[in-house]
Amino acid sequence: MLKFIIKKLLMMIPMLLLISFIVYFGLQMTGIDPINFMVSPEMLSANKENVEALRESLGLNDPLIIQYFRWLGNCLRGDLGYSFDGSSIASIIKVRLPYTFELAGYSLVLSAIIGIGIGIISAVRQNGVIDYVGRVLAVLGQAVPQFLVGIILIQIFSIKLGWFPSANRVSPDATNAFVDAFVHLFLPVLTLTIGMVAVLMRYARNTMLDVLNSDYIKTARSKGIPEWKVYLKHGFRNAMKPVLVILVFRIPMLVGGSVVIESVFSYPGIGLTMTNAIVSGDYPIVLVTTLIIAAAMLICSFMVDVFNALLDPRVRLGE
Amino acid sequence: MSNPAASIKEQNKSAASSLLRRNVRKFMNNKLALLGLVVVVAITIACIVGFIAGVDFNTPVLPDMKKPPSSVHLFGTDTIGRDLFARVLVGGCYSILIGVFCAVMSSVIGAALGAIAGYFGGKTDTILIRISEVFQAFPQLVLVMMLVAIVNKRGLGNLLFIFVFTGWMTTFRMVRNEFMSIKGETYVKVCEAFGMSKNNIMFKQILPNVMSPIIVSTTTNVAFFILQEASLSFIGLGVADTTPTWGNILNAAKSVSVVTNQWWIWLFPGLAITLFVLAINFLGDGLRDVLDAKQQ
Amino acid sequence: MDSKEIILNVEKLNTTFVSDKKKIRIVKDVSFQLKRGKTLAVVGESGCGKSVTMNSIMRFTGKNAIVEAKSIQYNAMKDGKIEEHHLESIKEPNGAEMRALRGPDLSMVFQDPMSSLNPVYKVGDQVAEGLLQHNKGMTKQEAREKVLEMFRKLGIPDPEERIDCYPHQFSGGMKQRVVIAIAMICNPELIICDEPTTALDVTIQAQIMELLKDLQVNDGKSIILITHNMGLVAEMADEVCVMYMGRVVEFGTLEDVFDRTSHPYTRALLRSVPVLGLADGQKLETIPGATPNPADLKEGCEFADRCPECTEKCRKGVIPCYEVNPGHHVRCTKYSSFPEVE
Repeated sequence: MLKFIIKKLLMMIPMLLLISFIVYFGLQMTGIDPINFMVSPEMLSANKENVEALRESLGLNDPLIIQYFRWLGNCLRGDLGYSFDGSSIASIIKVRLPYTFELAGYSLVLSAIIGIGIGIISAVRQNGVIDYVGRVLAVLGQAVPQFLVGIILIQIFSIKLGWFPSANRVSPDATNAFVDAFVHLFLPVLTLTIGMVAVLMRYARNTMLDVLNSDYIKTARSKGIPEWKVYLKHGFRNAMKPVLVILVFRIPMLVGGSVVIESVFSYPGIGLTMTNAIVSGDYPIVLVTTLIIAAAMLICSFMVDVFNALLDPRVRLGE
Repeated sequence: MSNPAASIKEQNKSAASSLLRRNVRKFMNNKLALLGLVVVVAITIACIVGFIAGVDFNTPVLPDMKKPPSSVHLFGTDTIGRDLFARVLVGGCYSILIGVFCAVMSSVIGAALGAIAGYFGGKTDTILIRISEVFQAFPQLVLVMMLVAIVNKRGLGNLLFIFVFTGWMTTFRMVRNEFMSIKGETYVKVCEAFGMSKNNIMFKQILPNVMSPIIVSTTTNVAFFILQEASLSFIGLGVADTTPTWGNILNAAKSVSVVTNQWWIWLFPGLAITLFVLAINFLGDGLRDVLDAKQQ
Repeated sequence: MDSKEIILNVEKLNTTFVSDKKKIRIVKDVSFQLKRGKTLAVVGESGCGKSVTMNSIMRFTGKNAIVEAKSIQYNAMKDGKIEEHHLESIKEPNGAEMRALRGPDLSMVFQDPMSSLNPVYKVGDQVAEGLLQHNKGMTKQEAREKVLEMFRKLGIPDPEERIDCYPHQFSGGMKQRVVIAIAMICNPELIICDEPTTALDVTIQAQIMELLKDLQVNDGKSIILITHNMGLVAEMADEVCVMYMGRVVEFGTLEDVFDRTSHPYTRALLRSVPVLGLADGQKLETIPGATPNPADLKEGCEFADRCPECTEKCRKGVIPCYEVNPGHHVRCTKYSSFPEVE
């Protein structure tokens, strides 16, 4: 098992390098001179020789490949470079990344519990009330654009009822950090959860139905064990694997969704940072944020493999 | 039995047409799918008629700005006094165009690459799989955003290109896996033994077997791309504002005062998207039920 | 007959499936009896309702099935005393009453050992599960000992090691032994084997059948064997029940059915068995036509269209069953001079 994990971890490294390479060169193709990030236009025109010297000292005249490796080395040492306005990207990320983790993490856990729960119940009580309501909600949840759900929630809970703030992550005058986090996270997490639940519920239901039709469920029943044991021990355990895989597989959707949702709720996470950077053309930030997201995705797919192995003896024992 | 070959052909023809008839009947029995089809067709026709009739969607009438729905402006007017009904109709044209074009193109590319990877296997397969993995390492929206940053220009053409460029992977994977399993079947071996060309085997003999899932996924992808465009436009990275799309119109809802005071500005385009996507999903589900060979 | 001798008595069992709001009768008025300690073979083409009949008795049919019967009486022998169970009156298919019987009284061996075992649990735990369920207070260690004993009895090599393996590490034949172990572990009186060897190699088939025969002879088990292999029937069965399109067409002892074959369908079935030493030019006979679709059946005998001896009478009404010999029942108008039964 340990060997398996190490092997999978090692395989992530070349992948991450390749992606960083592609993103780095992709952004170089935009033809924006990085010198513009560092020196104001007036100075640029005033001191032509100095700028040229600066270029030389910064290594901007070196071939791209050398620049790439220099940048990579800096990143590995924790120096992520500087944004347009001169602030350290590392310090921006340090504040904002945890916010996005909170948002995506809570949504993931909540939607997993609700989505899988309802899905399983729908399958066990097929064509029952929960199944019916769940199916209608799933179809609706997949058709309404997520940001529209966010807008409607703001309209109801922030504007009409005034229960939750419609923007930001921290209030300046907050007294209780936990309450503050809760009220700011509630609506965005709810929005993201609704979208995820719609997908998961449907999938969990269909998977569980498939499993309940398999022969080993009949074998389990032939032993005379109680129905809840048939469903949980034999059904759920087998349905878990594909459902968990799809759960982790859908994390990109969650991250993509959180990019939009952070915009709706002006929630200062990585997604909003990236959106603003793209709009204003702040490429150093775009570069780092995309890489962070790509790394997160790779970790997710690594987790899919580990989950798979944990839940399925066939994979665990390497056959 | 003077001409057995012809009679077999006749038989095949009648079998195929009875299968088609049965599928059509099955589809007609599926009320939701039928409703979906009707709604999709109705909205599409309405939008195209509106577009051809040349409704005025772009002239701001400042005195009429932010007017609620009335008999003059069926859906009201937007923040600079443009008629929302006209904008939703024309925006629908562009949104549906984006959805259909991108879904079809990415399916074609995905299917072609998937057929090649699945049929030839080996190095070709490994390389194509690696490429698709790199693409899939990003959430699609982030990938699109990155490309928007690189292309650095917001036009309809660029958006179409980016969506197709980033949207072929799921179809690719599906077609590849199907090809992998069908490749081993005896009838393919027979075709090879007859000396048929690889192109013929791939696209005329194997591909028709994979058509059903491709058709279904293309249908649902139309909805996916429409939603994707709406999200992108909403955060301000979609098509430039001069070309209306459903997402673009909804972009106005970024302002809290619009959300609070002018409900019609976001409600009508929002409803249009939801209704259309819902109908497409019903249609896709219905097609899946009809075409899924396992259920026949 | 008294309930000491008869272990299972089924009268007029009907199973109907509902699909797309249409009702399709799959099992029609099936009646048969199984004597204690004997083997009953149920034979017929695929899709004739053999498995559905057995699943209806065990109540394994899905939610879209309606099971009705005049009587399904199971007589358990507990310490020399007879306990009567009326399965037809049990309402909940998976309720407490039915569950109490599954395992210690009735058990089932399924057709496909590949998919009958849960892939995520060790085989030993899967066998022990039923044991622990029906013997409250048994420790895991005791259960393990019992499972090991059963594995040895069923000829699974290295039981100490194999007990902690997962199903995918077993071959097909070994898997089927594990499935039999699951069925046998609670020492049931009646074992229903639903084509237990169709999914296995021929050599393994013989081993598994040998195993079942031993169990029956040594432990006095009653077995219902579903199969379409006539060779197996000749070797294993005491009594034979021939089914066609959801009906029992002939029922009797092995000798009755094989030597005094009465129903044209049974005769056709027996003639279509390949025999070693078929003379040159002698063709293996087949039954003309195909099994009709159960959804569009006309009245009369179901076999009429394929029957060489079909007459006008065969096309009308429901064909009754006639007793041509004591205990030998045939559903065919040819024997209308004999007394009707049911």
